Amino acid sequence: MSEDEFELDDLLDDVSKVAPSAEPTQPETLPVPASPGEAEFMGEAGAVTGKARMEAAYGTGEGEGQGVAMVAQSATVEAGTIFHQVYRPWRGNLNPRWVRNWSILRHHVYGLFSKGHRPWPITTKLVVVIVLFGSLMPIISMAMATLTGIEALMQIYGVSRANLWGHVLGTFRNTCCWPLLTALIVGGLISEDRQHGTSAIYFSRPVTRTDYTLMKYISAALILSMVIVFSYCAYYAAAIIFNNEGWAYLLDTLPFFLGGLVVAIMLVVTFTSIGLALSSISTGKFFPAVSFMGILFGSRILAFLINLLFERDTLYLLSPYDNLAHVGQYMMGINTTYDFPAAWSFVALLLMNGISLYILISRVNSLEVTRE
Amino acid sequence: MTEEWIVETHDLVKKYGEHLALDSVNLAIRPGATGLLGPNGAGKSTLLKTILGLIALTSGGGKVLGHDIATEGAKIRQRIGYMPEYDCLTPDMEAIHQVRYAGELVGMNSNSAIQRAHEVLEYVGLRDQRYRTVSTFSTGMEQATKLACALIHDPDLLICDEPTNGLDANARGFMLDTLFQVVKQGGRSIIMSSHLMDDVERICDRMLMIHKGQVIAQGRIEDLKAIDREIEISVWGGASRIEEKLKDMGQSVRRTGRVMRITRIDDSTYGTIIKAAAETSVQIRKMEDYEPSLEDLFIVIMDRLGYSVKSSKDLLGGNTPAMDHAAQLGRKVA
Repeated sequence: MSEDEFELDDLLDDVSKVAPSAEPTQPETLPVPASPGEAEFMGEAGAVTGKARMEAAYGTGEGEGQGVAMVAQSATVEAGTIFHQVYRPWRGNLNPRWVRNWSILRHHVYGLFSKGHRPWPITTKLVVVIVLFGSLMPIISMAMATLTGIEALMQIYGVSRANLWGHVLGTFRNTCCWPLLTALIVGGLISEDRQHGTSAIYFSRPVTRTDYTLMKYISAALILSMVIVFSYCAYYAAAIIFNNEGWAYLLDTLPFFLGGLVVAIMLVVTFTSIGLALSSISTGKFFPAVSFMGILFGSRILAFLINLLFERDTLYLLSPYDNLAHVGQYMMGINTTYDFPAAWSFVALLLMNGISLYILISRVNSLEVTRE
Repeated sequence: MTEEWIVETHDLVKKYGEHLALDSVNLAIRPGATGLLGPNGAGKSTLLKTILGLIALTSGGGKVLGHDIATEGAKIRQRIGYMPEYDCLTPDMEAIHQVRYAGELVGMNSNSAIQRAHEVLEYVGLRDQRYRTVSTFSTGMEQATKLACALIHDPDLLICDEPTNGLDANARGFMLDTLFQVVKQGGRSIIMSSHLMDDVERICDRMLMIHKGQVIAQGRIEDLKAIDREIEISVWGGASRIEEKLKDMGQSVRRTGRVMRITRIDDSTYGTIIKAAAETSVQIRKMEDYEPSLEDLFIVIMDRLGYSVKSSKDLLGGNTPAMDHAAQLGRKVA
C-alpha cells in the first residue's frame, strides 16, 4: 500500500482525535436559534407570522408567487408550527324565521350607525344626517319664536294646517330633500345584491324571497321614516312643549296632525315602492337613483308644462308627488290646487304602488342562486 | 348524521318551458364526498337548485338529508352550506362580519355567529385577515371567505360549486386540503361540482356525471374505473406489427407511439399479448396493469355514449361538434 492510500480505520482514528473524548455535556439552557432567520415554518425559513401564512396560502402581498401552500397539511405538522387546521363542530340551535328576518332588518338599518353591518357609503350617511337636521330646523325656528314672544313669528313657524302639510309635502323638501334621500337609500338596496351576487347568500339559506323583499322594503321605509315621519312628529311635539299647550290645543290640531302623518307614511311607502322597483331592475345604484328622481321630477315638469300650455291638469295624475300633495290637501282640509277629485289621486297612488310592487316581486323572483 | 342517503331522488323532471333541464333523474348519494361532473348546460345548476329545495319540480320527487325537496326547502337549507361559484360577498364588508351575517341568515343568534365566524375564518386560514374588507382580498381569500360562510353553521352537507375556480396552484391545494379535512376530520358530506377531474379525484370517493339532464354515471370512482381495465405495454421493434396482430386476435388496442393499452378482458389477455409479441418478434419491455384516472373514465363514458371526446376540457365548452352531431343523429344518451 502506497503512502497516498489510506484505510478506513485511519480515517476513523482522525475523527476520534477531533471529537471530544469525554461524554458530551448538556447545555445549561435550551439552545436558542441564533437569529430569527433560522426559524422554520412548514419548511419555509423565516419568522412565523400571519402574513407569512397568508402569503404561503394565497400568494398575496410582497411575497406573491413565492409562498408554498402547506399550511393545511395537518398530517405533516411538526413541532413549532402554530397553525394547525382543526375542524370544530358547532352544537348550537338555529332560531326561527323571525330572528332571520330581524337580522336582515338590523343589517340594513344598523349599517347607518355602526360598522359590521351593511356598508352604506359615507355620502349617504351624510345626506341622511343633513336632511334630518334640516327637517328639524323648524323646531329651532319655533323655539326662537316662543322665546322672543313675537306673534308674527309664531304664525309663521307655529303649528298650522299649512305648516304641517308643508313639513311633509312642501315644494322645497320634495325637490331637494326627500327625493335625494330616497334615491340614495333605495338605489343600491337590491341592485347591489344582483351586482355582487349577494342574493346567493340569502337564497341558499332558509330565507324566502318574500322575507327578503319584505325586509328590504321595511328597512328602506324605516330609514326614510326616521327622517320624514320622525321630524314631522318631533315638530308637532315641540310645538306642544314650547307653547305649553293643553288638551284643547291637542283636540284642535290632532286631526290635521294625523292627516299629515298618514300622508307622510303614504309618501314613504310610495317612494320606497317606486325606488325598490327601479333598484330591482338594475345592476347598479346609479340607474335606480337617477331614474327615481327622473320619474319624480319629469312627471311634475311634464304635467306643469301641459297645464301651462293647454290648461289641463289631469296629467298631474302621473306625478307621484302631485298625487300625494292632492291627497294631503284633502286629508288636512286645505283648499286643493287641482281641478280633479282627490279620489283620482288616491287611486293613481294605489296603481303606482301596485305596479311598483309587481315589478319588484317579479324581479326578485328572477334573482339567481347558482348564477347571475 | 345518520341518514343512509344524503340525497335520494326518483324520476326527477324539471322543464323550463319546452326545455328539459332534468330528465328522470334517479339519484342515491351516500354520505361522504361526491363529485358532480358534466358539460356546461348539462343540468348541474338545476340539480344543485333542486337539492337546495329552491325550484318547483315538474314531476318526481326526492329527499335531501331526510327532508322532502318539494315541501321542506327551508329545513334543507338550514342543514346545507352552499359555496357558490361566482362572487357572493359584499365588497365593502369585513370578512368577519360577512361570515357572521351569513350565520345570522341561517338562524344563529348574533353572539354565537360572531364567535363561530372567528373559528371558521381561522379554519380556512384567514385568522389574521378577518378584519380586512373583502374588496382587498385575492381570489383565493375570497374563495376561503365563501367557504367560511358555508361552514359557519356546521352544515351536514356542503355543496361547493367550482371551489377552486380562479385559484393558483398553491391556493387550490389549500382549498382542496381544507375540503378534504371537512369530510375526513369533520365527518361532513360534500357535493362538489367541478370541471377539474384532478380536484374531484383528490377529494371525492364517489362521482355523479350528468349530461343533457340525465345521470349517465354514478357510484364509487374506483368501481366506475373498473368498467375499463387496461394493460399497458411498451414495445420495441415493430409496434405497428404487434398492434395489428393484437387487433387480429380480437383485442381492443389504443396506441401512442411505442406505448399501447390493451383492454383487459380476463387473465388470459396477458398470455394473448405475449403470444402476439412472440409471433411478431417484438420485444415487450414493460407490461403492467394501467391505473386509469378520472379523465380516462370520462373519455370512456363519453365514448360509450357515442361521443368523440378527447379530454375533460370539453366539459368547459359544452358539447363538442362531434357531440352535437351525434345528438342530431338521435343517439340515445344513457
